[in-house]
Amino acid sequence: MTGPAVVFEGVSKFYGEVLGVNRVTLSIPPGITSLVGPNGSGKTTLMNLMTGLIHPDRGHILVREIPPRDPEALMRITGYATQYDTAPRWATGFTFITTGLLLFGFRRAEAEEKAWKALERVGLTGAATRKVAAYSKGMRQRVRLAQAIAHDPDVLVLDEPLNGLDPLVRAETIDLFRSWAAAGKHVILSSHVLQEVDLISDQVVLIANGTIVAEGKIRDVRDEIDEHPSQFLVRCRDASALAARLFGEEHITEIRLTDDRMGLLLMTRDPERFARALGRIALDGYGIEAVVPADENVDAVYGYLIGGQ
Amino acid sequence: MADGNVSFSGRARQAWTIATVELRRVFLARRGLWVYGLALLPAVIFFGHGVETKLRSESLARSGLTVPALLDSVREGEALADVKQRLGQPAEERWSVRSRHVRRPTGNAGATTHAIEPAVEARFVRLNLTRPSYSGEPVARIYEFEVYGPDGPGNLALGRPVAGSIPCHQDRGPEKAVNGSVAGGEADSWCSNDWPLFLQVDLGAPRAVERFVLKHASAGGESGESDTREFTIQVSTDGKAFTTVESSTGAGFVEERTEYRQLVYFDGRRDARLQFVDGTLEDRVMRRVLNFEEDRAIFAGIFQYFYLRLAIFFGCLGMFMYLFRGEMANRTLHYWLLAPARREVLLAGKFAAGLVASVAIFGGGALLAFAAMIWPHDAVEVQAYWDAGGMTHAFWYGTAAALGCVGYGSVFLAVGLYVRNPIIPAAVLLAWESAQGILPHALQKISILHYLQSLCPVPAPMEADAPALIQLLAAPAAPASRPGAILGLLLLTAFVLWIAGRAVRRMQISYGAEP
Repeated sequence: MTGPAVVFEGVSKFYGEVLGVNRVTLSIPPGITSLVGPNGSGKTTLMNLMTGLIHPDRGHILVREIPPRDPEALMRITGYATQYDTAPRWATGFTFITTGLLLFGFRRAEAEEKAWKALERVGLTGAATRKVAAYSKGMRQRVRLAQAIAHDPDVLVLDEPLNGLDPLVRAETIDLFRSWAAAGKHVILSSHVLQEVDLISDQVVLIANGTIVAEGKIRDVRDEIDEHPSQFLVRCRDASALAARLFGEEHITEIRLTDDRMGLLLMTRDPERFARALGRIALDGYGIEAVVPADENVDAVYGYLIGGQ
Repeated sequence: MADGNVSFSGRARQAWTIATVELRRVFLARRGLWVYGLALLPAVIFFGHGVETKLRSESLARSGLTVPALLDSVREGEALADVKQRLGQPAEERWSVRSRHVRRPTGNAGATTHAIEPAVEARFVRLNLTRPSYSGEPVARIYEFEVYGPDGPGNLALGRPVAGSIPCHQDRGPEKAVNGSVAGGEADSWCSNDWPLFLQVDLGAPRAVERFVLKHASAGGESGESDTREFTIQVSTDGKAFTTVESSTGAGFVEERTEYRQLVYFDGRRDARLQFVDGTLEDRVMRRVLNFEEDRAIFAGIFQYFYLRLAIFFGCLGMFMYLFRGEMANRTLHYWLLAPARREVLLAGKFAAGLVASVAIFGGGALLAFAAMIWPHDAVEVQAYWDAGGMTHAFWYGTAAALGCVGYGSVFLAVGLYVRNPIIPAAVLLAWESAQGILPHALQKISILHYLQSLCPVPAPMEADAPALIQLLAAPAAPASRPGAILGLLLLTAFVLWIAGRAVRRMQISYGAEP
């Protein structure tokens, strides 16, 4: 996609030996985009990468055609509410946001006006003159959101922004995202609960173990997951005979013998029917010892994301 | 605004905004309060010294002043009474008596004589040594044991059969104590360490005895410490029943008393300390109670050896290392990195904050100490010093302290970006800075201390008898000219900041485990 997109091109990031994200290629158009994945899947890593807090080991990133290595230009159009639940000890909510705005070159009066507006939008004016350190967790969450939106950025990056908000504030916050997206801006947020962002997102990016599992409109993602065949490893004494027998099942799409000829690697479109079939077949012998899912990624992730329902 | 073009002055404003926020942290950090202690220590020392000398002059003057010419007239060897009569009552007088327990000399070349009154009848004469030496060594040494009767000068014991405790050497048996001679060295004496220590002479037949002579270790040329200290002499007619006729504690001890007396006279500026030993003037020390020149030299020493090398070094370590490291630990650094500012601007802002704080604290501390050093001194002297360039001295001390903050501050800012634990780099740097006096000339140029020492207005005092190694380490290196020193230091700082800039551009947020 051309134009004002957030683009990842073959981006990998390692934390020492540990993989952060692996060969991520992604183009995020304006609108509300949710990065969804379990904890530790790489959502925060992607967000830190696109805001320049960390640098990729491989690949390139452009945020509306600005490289994250150029914070002077990037952060003018980007606001990032991190998940780091810390605030400078000295600051009140108001001075915290005002100080940030002064760095944009606003005059003090202008900065204070914008800070006040931002606090208004997140409903924190009542606590504006109190120390951030004395805020509750939800209030700190909102003050970080206020800081991210105070300079009216084109790209709003929000790490788990709905975490810990009460229902009323949550609804207001979602409204805020919608108004941002309606103005042709980027709202990129993360969540580990698909349901939470299902309805509000224009597109969803599913992440597991540092890789993009699926991306697109929420419907397409669903279908993609449904169509994705599952892979199982079956250990048994008589692998070739079992393979011949299983070829008869129509939901099986592929069978391979393992190198030691004591196991089968097979793909099925319907894990439940496969399980039933295997139960039947096992009664006829073949010495089946174990059946393990060989490719947990998509199923497991999806199962997790839909909240086990 | 969104095009991202920021002018130079815009960046400077950003840096200043960052600095003003950081200033609060640097000045008021609770963990950094010890920095103030370091900075103010010399001022406190000089202030205390000033108060003490002022109080001392006042207390000395209270007992009246002495005419300076009279103070100068006192000569060593004069008697206490004469001095007191001429100079009057001293401002202070202290005295003490030292008494020593000294041993009276054994006398008569190590021989002691013991008369028995009246004479007794004896065939066997026995000498028991209960404390055989003064030194405490449990060894008896008797060169001769002589026995005399009323009948004539003949030594009744001479060549008689003799018994005694087992000798310490086969050549030094008991017979050597009755052989009539002491001149043959150690081999001419009886010696034993086999307790009980005794000698017993058989006179052959009962004889009248009225006098014994003992020749101890010093009679044979050995140390007086080996002379016999306590012994008894017994006599018997049958070799069984003995009667004690003499108990001696040897030569004994006496008290030796020495009187020390110190008189202090004060003429308003100098105090003269006169030391008398047993009433005679042995030593005369005149010194100025308030010695401006000496105080200035001490200030130069403290400034170079303590303030530049330790106080500013560790103060800057504390203040600059944590500019980034502290925010990393508090998980607040990302707020700065998410601001629309270049990383170099952030570096500049933080450096400026550290610099303003450290220059205020350490430059102020240096000037305060300088003022405290000058404060107690006579106004005329101070005016003369001021006219002779005292103001320039103060200026250069302040400048050296400030540039010390610039140099060490940049170094520790950079170190804090590369390493987590300050101890090892601090130790390495301290060693490097301390050793700069012995480095080749080219290497000295990359030591901050080299430039700072070149800026100091007065060379630090160095005792001529200080150990060679210390002289070598503390010796000021061949100094650079002042403009050269400032330029060199600024170039060095710029280079260090460039290195820090590279690190800060590469810096990534890693607060430990991702949430």
